[in-house]
Amino acid sequence: MRVLFFAQLKDVAGCAEMELAPASPLNGEQLWKILTEKIPALADHKKNTRLACNWEYADEQTVFSGSDEVALIPPVSGG
Amino acid sequence: MKLFCRMEIEIQLTKGPIAEKISPPQWWPSAKTALGAWIEFRGLVRDEENGGTISALEYEAYPEMAAREIRRLIQDISTRHPCLAAKVIHRVGIIPVGETAIYLGVAARHRAEAIALTGEFMDGLKRDVPIWKRRALPIDFVGDEVTSLTSKKSETPHVVSYKSLDEAISEISSSCQPLPPVRVPLEESFGRVLRETVCAPEDLPPNDRSTRDGYAILADDASDNFQIVDTIHAADWKPRLLRRGEAVRVATGAALPCDGVRVVMQEHVERNGDKIKITKLESGSSLRKRGEDVKAGQPLMKSGVRLDAGKLALLATAGCTQPLVSPRLRVAHFTTGDEIIPPDQTPEPGQIRDSNSILIRGLLQNFSCDLDQKHLPENFEAAWAQLDLNRIAAADLILISGGASVGDKDFTRPLLERLGFETAFSQVNVRPGKPLIFGVNGSRVAFGLPGNPLSHFVCFHFAVATALAKLTGEIAPKFMRGRLATKLDDKPCPRETLWPARLEFLNGEINLHPLKWSSSGDVTCFAAANALIRVPVNCAELEAGAELEFLPLRSMMGS
Repeated sequence: MRVLFFAQLKDVAGCAEMELAPASPLNGEQLWKILTEKIPALADHKKNTRLACNWEYADEQTVFSGSDEVALIPPVSGG
Repeated sequence: MKLFCRMEIEIQLTKGPIAEKISPPQWWPSAKTALGAWIEFRGLVRDEENGGTISALEYEAYPEMAAREIRRLIQDISTRHPCLAAKVIHRVGIIPVGETAIYLGVAARHRAEAIALTGEFMDGLKRDVPIWKRRALPIDFVGDEVTSLTSKKSETPHVVSYKSLDEAISEISSSCQPLPPVRVPLEESFGRVLRETVCAPEDLPPNDRSTRDGYAILADDASDNFQIVDTIHAADWKPRLLRRGEAVRVATGAALPCDGVRVVMQEHVERNGDKIKITKLESGSSLRKRGEDVKAGQPLMKSGVRLDAGKLALLATAGCTQPLVSPRLRVAHFTTGDEIIPPDQTPEPGQIRDSNSILIRGLLQNFSCDLDQKHLPENFEAAWAQLDLNRIAAADLILISGGASVGDKDFTRPLLERLGFETAFSQVNVRPGKPLIFGVNGSRVAFGLPGNPLSHFVCFHFAVATALAKLTGEIAPKFMRGRLATKLDDKPCPRETLWPARLEFLNGEINLHPLKWSSSGDVTCFAAANALIRVPVNCAELEAGAELEFLPLRSMMGS
């Protein structure tokens, strides 16, 4: 699973992307648990960060599995 | 309603400027006959962000998802406000003030739905589309640099990008932005760069002062004998009017009693009790006029100078106890290579003692840095596992010694790329120091330095020192001109050479002594080098007296 970080989260994570190999498909909460274990500083940003899976915003039903491209989307500020 | 959802939608994310004129008829052949309204909206970069004046904004996007979200957004809005076609262009990267960040063109049958779609789209964009204002570039960011940055071509990944020495220096210079300044006490400002112009709060000196131990008398008083009416010591403030025939005893540095006086040296008078007689006429007035050094309100020190002991003393004189200066730089330095052993151990065959860690530590000493150093194993994944990503994320500058070539074990570039750095170049046409990697990640920069000690030394001075200067808001080191004191014997080389040299002043002229040097592993010339001579391409030998460019090594000048 490829996990991408953008904008200030890139600074928080210290990298633009990381590779995860979950043993089984994850829901959003399980994914956050793994991410914050690896990068504790992400926990402060969880409240304002949306997850995306394969270029779409995830919702409560979204399941994240090994072949997905996952992105952490902090508050956007385009335009 | 579904019928109207079939809008033609064109979406672009671009790094370059958005065209000044985009005309509708060529866009949408199918919409041509039905077209009744065409609305264009441009969002421009303002000169103000969060209350500060800026020169540019840098945008970042998640391109694949941004394009999908824009499409989804327009399709959704068009179910309520059916339009014919839309074109969206969002620029990313650095966008100077006054230029277009987003362009939206909407074609519709009537204006109402086109205007409504425009409004709702911009609201939705700012809510959902993964594009970010990454950072604001401050106003002291020069316009030319904005232009050179925005016209920068993006590199294809994993292609070795080769730069000349000048190109490399200018790329580093334009990729590093001054970090936001901070106000700190004078005691903590040594080695930092002053980021404001400090003006004299009062005249210096604040009043007319005596430069001698002697006697103040009226400037036009031609009397021979004088009555001493007062004594003024250096710290005294005793204004009074003098009459003819009156003198005031003054110490060196004492504030004079009134205007229109001169000081007669004590050696040129004969004193008898409280009377003096001038024995020798002197020219000149032996005083420093008020404001002679600097007048109140005049600049004492300009923004962009690195504060050394003398400059701190001047700031203290001016009462500037909380100067606005560059922040302490956070630097992470990694050494790599399994052949490297700590300097207190005896090398086995194939091993060498680590000299780069102490070299970097020493070179950074003058720059007010917080330095984190660590040795990494040669295996990429093993090295990755040892990285403290939080600490790296906090670093303004990352240096990796060794592993900069393209050998199997040379992981610097992949490592920097996994850390989110875009490789600006990976080789420089210079000897020594060819495999030099430079990466950029937002406002943070990274260097992969070749492991050979001399290459390291050279790359630090022309590349890392440039970045340090720019990040802290200082004027970057520049090449100067000087003369060769002794012959420089070299084989013709297709690369420019930065030749270690000893700079000496002789009769007011700069003399450059090239130091003995054969390979980039050569370390003996370190101890004496305080300059790098720039030897042109294919230059076999240069006679004594030849005029050449050289880079003075400020950090080594004390030696």
